[in-house]
Amino acid sequence: MAAKTHRVLPGFGLALGYTLVYLSLLILLPLGGLILKASELGFGQIMDIALGERSLAAFRVTFGASFLAAAVNAFFGLIVAWILVRYPFPGKRFVDALVDLPFALPTAVAGITLATLYAGNGWLGQFIEPLGFKVAYTPWGIVVALTFITLPFVVRTLQPVIEDIETEVEEAAASLGASRWQTFVKVIFPAIFPALLTGFALAFARAVGEYGSVIFIAGNLPLISEITPLLIISKLEQYDVLGATALAVVMLGLSFLLLLSVNLLQWWTANRHKNSEPLEVAAAKASGGAQ
Amino acid sequence: MSIEIRNISKRFGNFVALDNINLDIPTGELVALLGPSGCGKTTLLRIIAGMESADGGEVLFSGEDATHLHAREREVGFVFQHYALFRHMTVFENVAFGLRVKPRKERPSDAEIKRRVMELLSLVQLDWLADRYPSQLSGGQRQRIALARALAVEPKVLLLDEPFGALDTKVRKELRRWLRRLHDDMHISSVFVTHDQEEALEVADRVVVMNHGRIEQIGSPDEVYSSPASPFVYQFLGNVNVFHSRQQGAYAEVERGEVAEKATAFVRPHDIDITHQPSEDGLQAKVQHVHPIGPVVRIELLHGSEIIEVELSRERHELLQLTVGQAVWFRPRQMRVFGTDTSLRSTPEKQAFLF
Amino acid sequence: MKSTRATQEPVWVRYTLLTIGLSFLFFFLGLPLLAVFVEALAQGVPVYIEALKEPETASAIWLTVGIALAVLPFNIVFGVAAAWAIAKFEFKGKSLLITLIDLPFAVSPVVAGLIFILLFGSQGTFGEWLSEHDIKIIFAVPGMILATLFITFPFIARELIPLMQAQGKDEEEAAVSLGASGWQMFIRVTLPNIKWGLLYGVILSNARAMGEFGAVSVVSGHIRGETNTLPLHVEILYNEYNAIGAFAAASILALLALVTLVAKTIVEWRMKKETEMLNTVLAPEKT
Repeated sequence: MAAKTHRVLPGFGLALGYTLVYLSLLILLPLGGLILKASELGFGQIMDIALGERSLAAFRVTFGASFLAAAVNAFFGLIVAWILVRYPFPGKRFVDALVDLPFALPTAVAGITLATLYAGNGWLGQFIEPLGFKVAYTPWGIVVALTFITLPFVVRTLQPVIEDIETEVEEAAASLGASRWQTFVKVIFPAIFPALLTGFALAFARAVGEYGSVIFIAGNLPLISEITPLLIISKLEQYDVLGATALAVVMLGLSFLLLLSVNLLQWWTANRHKNSEPLEVAAAKASGGAQ
Repeated sequence: MSIEIRNISKRFGNFVALDNINLDIPTGELVALLGPSGCGKTTLLRIIAGMESADGGEVLFSGEDATHLHAREREVGFVFQHYALFRHMTVFENVAFGLRVKPRKERPSDAEIKRRVMELLSLVQLDWLADRYPSQLSGGQRQRIALARALAVEPKVLLLDEPFGALDTKVRKELRRWLRRLHDDMHISSVFVTHDQEEALEVADRVVVMNHGRIEQIGSPDEVYSSPASPFVYQFLGNVNVFHSRQQGAYAEVERGEVAEKATAFVRPHDIDITHQPSEDGLQAKVQHVHPIGPVVRIELLHGSEIIEVELSRERHELLQLTVGQAVWFRPRQMRVFGTDTSLRSTPEKQAFLF
Repeated sequence: MKSTRATQEPVWVRYTLLTIGLSFLFFFLGLPLLAVFVEALAQGVPVYIEALKEPETASAIWLTVGIALAVLPFNIVFGVAAAWAIAKFEFKGKSLLITLIDLPFAVSPVVAGLIFILLFGSQGTFGEWLSEHDIKIIFAVPGMILATLFITFPFIARELIPLMQAQGKDEEEAAVSLGASGWQMFIRVTLPNIKWGLLYGVILSNARAMGEFGAVSVVSGHIRGETNTLPLHVEILYNEYNAIGAFAAASILALLALVTLVAKTIVEWRMKKETEMLNTVLAPEKT
């Protein structure tokens, strides 16, 4: 091949070949199996199962709770990312490291702990329940669990973007007479909004598929607090493989849509007001500029 | 608006950025803050703009204390080295920003904003780019938009931080001339920071030469170039040959008087004459290199172990016909001596009359 | 001095934001973390130690470690190979390949478990063939390894791809031009450059491998003492109202999470230091 002569570095064929074979065996083959199984059902039947009363309720709970959790994280995550980047406070490095806890803590542990905390006699539950607000074993419990699980996404997507905001731009706004709030609304927020949206979408996508942490705190009542992943498992346990497959295919389709939108979002962000940085700026930066 | 700077000091940790600076900038003047990286010129500019607070001292605008005014209340137009344009806004919105963020009472109507922005854009000759985003512009265009943006709020003072630093030579020259004209038309005070001596000398009414957080000299471009107040200014503005009198037998004369033991003589390359004939007040040297550079010919002479740079006009060089290895005599037409013991602050004690 | 820099919020805003942000983190992160250990030690240290000595808990620990160790070499080899191909070469369909590597992040763990049941379960595509040859994958350890592989394979690749892209291929090309063989180039040039990134990926994928619940739960069959990993064991104990046992097992996993966070922070710190050092060494002279 002509292209081959251009490749100075070795190992392209081996590395790519291995990658493709590995991915095919581990990802494509099993997913193919899923599609194959689903095709036994046909589109109509899949829709019948997915739109059944119990499945529909499960989808509603899953997506509703995921959306709320992602929204909660978008709001607080913005504040957390902001204080982590901008404000000095004692123990900051510790807090910064702790943000990743939900990535590191097994979901089952998170599930039983949150259930215990928010149960009627738990540390938090004993204060919340007298107010007439039940969290544990209700859909709200699902929101809490998903908020925990997806907490790092918004913070971690926003942090580098906030770090990247040039102080000069904020100074420019100030010198043009903008108040701090105007600077935030008109200059900072538009700059970080795409990242906020990406973080939101990532959190949402992760929350939709979550299983381990939710089942302990949800109560798992069909039609009320049963999430789709749990419904898939209970169908499996009743040997309703086709039913489970149907739900799985729908979930997978929706997940792909989410993944696609996240990728589009990132592509859009990268290409928005596409700037191939003019040479002189790049050159000035490369040479260290002056002062 | 005039700017007075009184005893301004600023440290960053152990680093003294500004050491008791005093400076008056009268209304309407275009002043250059000139100095090498880290001399404190940008810090001074940022303190004037209210983006940095000084550790001590005062900034007065038109005689009134502005030391504690917030940046947004200073009515100062600031142009950043890397422009700091809002990348998610069009050119139009960038320029309109300062008008749109005014309190409702003072905010002009949309039509008025549009009129003023377009007026400014045509002033900087970029009205045809109003709908573009900053990333779609060239460096020079961005710089002009940044200027238009700063001017939109009708500032009393225009501050520019290395305004041409990031541009290539040709655009830089064009923008320099353009800035000069703009300043003259707008009747405002302008201060710009630069490390490029040519730029400072060409554009400014007055040049403030800074080094190590202190002002070395304030003067017109001609003053700072032709009568530098210190060895630093001599060396920073243009090429110079440095003669340490001690090592040079022929400089004995220089050592006379109270400057006594150590003195340094500075001679610009174009102030040296070369002859083929030995002369009494000249020194002998060997031609080491001959580089014709545009209108001048740069000669490197080897005198003892020191290299001496000489610049000759093309005509003079054609007369001399210097070749590498040739032995010649050189003598300075003009030089300046500073005593090294009072190193930086010394005023010229006397002109060397003998070589 | 009274005057603030131009880009700072008023003091009251700063304190309000700090209070809101830190309270949120306290209630959602700090408190749960604390609760794990308090609950585990609720009846004293001896009871806690007893709970951990439980043979089923012990075997769950070993199975968890075993699966994590089994998965690791696969993930490393895949991560390095994929990153090598993607970061150092141009080819068609590259972005598709990257999306494919991201895929497990978008697939629910439960679905990840299900797809292996559909392939290897008794009614699955290969089910009959497997039972004829007496090979057990589903409801056995091989199935759990497969599911864990599916969930964890992107971590190392995801870490290495941007790192190796940023490093470019100059150094490798220099090595090759100096006569290094492919293997020598990899060991002497590439590996030292990516070692922290690789370690970082290993830490992340290992944490996920040990903590994975949904996917493993689907394929494990929950056979006590045989196919019970520690997270699955936590569930069983919790559902039996053995809170001490559940939280004792959970505390092990929480400790593991803390170790992960510390290791991750150290590696991040090292990586940052190394890039800073390189930047100062290689930075062009200031004008």
